[in-house]
Amino acid sequence: MRLNPDLDPQRLQGPALRELNGLSQAEPPGTRVSEGSFGNMLGRLVQEVNQKQVEARESVQGLFGGGDVSLHQAMIAMEEASVSFQLMVEVRNKLLESYQELMRMQV
Amino acid sequence: MINILNGIEGTSSALAAQRLRMEVIAQNIANANTTRDLDGRPYQRQIVVFESVLKQKQASLDPASALNRQVEAARIMKDNRPFRMVPMPGHPDADARGMVAMPNVAIHEEMADLIVSSRAYEANLSVVRNARNMALQTLSIGKRS
Repeated sequence: MRLNPDLDPQRLQGPALRELNGLSQAEPPGTRVSEGSFGNMLGRLVQEVNQKQVEARESVQGLFGGGDVSLHQAMIAMEEASVSFQLMVEVRNKLLESYQELMRMQV
Repeated sequence: MINILNGIEGTSSALAAQRLRMEVIAQNIANANTTRDLDGRPYQRQIVVFESVLKQKQASLDPASALNRQVEAARIMKDNRPFRMVPMPGHPDADARGMVAMPNVAIHEEMADLIVSSRAYEANLSVVRNARNMALQTLSIGKRS
């Protein structure tokens, strides 16, 4: 982002300059990672898929250990883990595809 | 948490309920000739009563709560029909007239219940299978080839 010449820090004095500097320190342009950014969303997706896998593993362990997990609960947990893993793989495939599409673009 | 297989909790509870029902039927069949239950009387046939429960307590305020019902075995009741009286004079539990009170379990009835329970379990399994297939087919929307 190019600054407006009127707001050039060299020419600004007093509280306005401090305010502007504080702003730029808090949010350096270009490196800002907001709450809803795509990378975060992807990270959350991976975490949730991992959570499903952990749940599936725990239920299978509970089944083997003679806990109060029934057979169908373990199977359903495994299926959920499997389907969510496939969802993650699909998202990754799409992402890679669009990246390759971008790299093929003529500049 | 992402909900991959929607409505699967209800099906899961139904599977658990049908399993419990099958266990009760197995107990009925196993004790079909038991003349001394824990209270000393002949075994009484037991029946499972199902009831639908809400998945979450606050779900009753949710307009979508029609989809929040799960099934649960509310209680296991005793069948109060009279015992079968069978003439067996040599039996230690025979009364003065040589009649023995046998449990009010009819094997053919239990077998019919077993089939019903097994088919209901199968139906719920088929819901699980179809939900999974639907999810996998949805994931293949973007596939080329």
